[in-house]
Amino acid sequence: MAEPVLRVKNLKKIYRSRRRGETVAVDGVSFSVHKNEVVGLLGPNGAGKTTIIKSICTILLPTSGEIWVDGVDAIRNPRAALEKVTAVLEGNRNVYWRLTVRDNLEFFAGLQGQSLRSVKGYIDELIELFNLKEKVNEQARALSRGMQQKLAVACALVKRTPILLLDEPTLGLDVETSYELRWILKRMAERGERTILLSSHDMNVVQDICERVIIINHGKIVVDDKIENLQRLFTASAYRFEIAGHLTPQQQQKLTEQFDMIKISADGSRTIIEADLLDSRKVYEIIDVLRENGCQLESVGKQYPDLEEIFLRIVKGEKQ
Amino acid sequence: MRYLYLLRAMMKKNFLIIWRYPFNLTAGIISIMMIFLVIFYGAKFIGGSSPGFGNTLEGIVMGFMLWTFIIFAFSDLTWDFINEAQQGTLEQLYMSPLGFGWVSFSYILSFLVINLTITLGLFVLMMAVTGKWLHLDFLSLIPLMLLTVWGVYGFGFAMGGLALVFKQVQAVFQIFQFVWVALVIAASALETFPWAKFLPVTWGVHLIGRVLIGGQSLSAMPIADVVFLVLISAVYFLLGYAIFKRLERVARDRGLLGHY
Repeated sequence: MAEPVLRVKNLKKIYRSRRRGETVAVDGVSFSVHKNEVVGLLGPNGAGKTTIIKSICTILLPTSGEIWVDGVDAIRNPRAALEKVTAVLEGNRNVYWRLTVRDNLEFFAGLQGQSLRSVKGYIDELIELFNLKEKVNEQARALSRGMQQKLAVACALVKRTPILLLDEPTLGLDVETSYELRWILKRMAERGERTILLSSHDMNVVQDICERVIIINHGKIVVDDKIENLQRLFTASAYRFEIAGHLTPQQQQKLTEQFDMIKISADGSRTIIEADLLDSRKVYEIIDVLRENGCQLESVGKQYPDLEEIFLRIVKGEKQ
Repeated sequence: MRYLYLLRAMMKKNFLIIWRYPFNLTAGIISIMMIFLVIFYGAKFIGGSSPGFGNTLEGIVMGFMLWTFIIFAFSDLTWDFINEAQQGTLEQLYMSPLGFGWVSFSYILSFLVINLTITLGLFVLMMAVTGKWLHLDFLSLIPLMLLTVWGVYGFGFAMGGLALVFKQVQAVFQIFQFVWVALVIAASALETFPWAKFLPVTWGVHLIGRVLIGGQSLSAMPIADVVFLVLISAVYFLLGYAIFKRLERVARDRGLLGHY
């Protein structure tokens, strides 16, 4: 595989305050992103996602570690790094509300040192792509939140950096606009136009656009893998048993005592047992327990978890 | 060339934003004019027709014009850093590969053009309303105003840096408005207190007074007087900029650039 275009090595960020003492926001994070890869950065609130993104785009000074953007040391040489990377940080708060759609796009192109002549055609393309043609001469304050957010992403794209960082790009969007933005990002990804690192709480967005996810919890990476690998892994170990009728408290106790990763729930007249079994031979053990206790087994099968379930299980420490 | 493209983009953006807040612009100009008229006619009433008071009235016209210009320059960076942080665009400005130094310079230059136009327009209006016409030698006046205000931008940077870290700096800001009044007035007392020429803006105001009231041109001034103005403004600018860079680092370290 080619050299990564983004490399983060042992990144650490400690916030120090007299009142709260030291807070470790990012604790020795290392990862790489290759050219044209689309990587999702997932994690609960306060996990350190925004800190990582802001450190990469040089507006936050890390306590220690290295960040290399397309071969440039972003900590020592932030200006050179900003030729290669830009970010959309707070959705619709990244544009000038008193400027029109076109004014905003022209301003951000200029901020990157691009001439109007060289960027005019691309601005027209972006206006078309983001479906902003009818609003091109409207001030941003008159646009809907979704349109403002699309404009913010377009303003980042107009800088034409090969790497794009998106912090919660679909936060607060209605379903339709979220789909539209997702379609645009997916199209860019499929065409290999940009390398994208995207943080989001919206698992559907990540599952739809990204090939790989990095899950952060308490400032550390807990998983860095392709989504299909994670699904395979969790599918391989996730089983679902359907039992006729309800289990008695004694039966439930017996099962939970014997097996760690087990969840029992009622579904109408049936009982559902979801079990995470790394050793598939344990399936027989569960069936034995059910038989000994006189339970009527209706079906046994593999479970196919989506990214949201995988994420929750990882973050809750169910999977190591 | 890329630096010029950024400068052009910044100028266009700032002109458009000012133009799209017409009420703000008009209300600002009217209120400045009203304050000036109250001060001018108040002073005229108190001073009456005592001999020599005419010079004081000319001094008020000039002093008020310069104070307005200085306040504009001082407040631009501070308020705009606060505004940009509130809008969420400050972090975007920091992400320019041409550096925040050039972004700030472009900011200053675009507002300098706007402020100079407004201030000189108001100045002519003040003279027309009061009938106190001063020596309008723009070729001498404008370079001296720019050299004087250069040092003020140092204070603007320092305040901007404080705004990045502490956010609520309005109280310090209010105090400074009076400090600038005192410094403009101090320019008329340089003979009594010669050390006052080391204070910010006083020497510049003194030289501008020599043009506007004394009728002296820039070319007729001793070169040492102009060089001293360049040096004193450079010192205050660099000092303010150094403070800004220090505070900017604190803001980047604490992740405060996007906060408001």
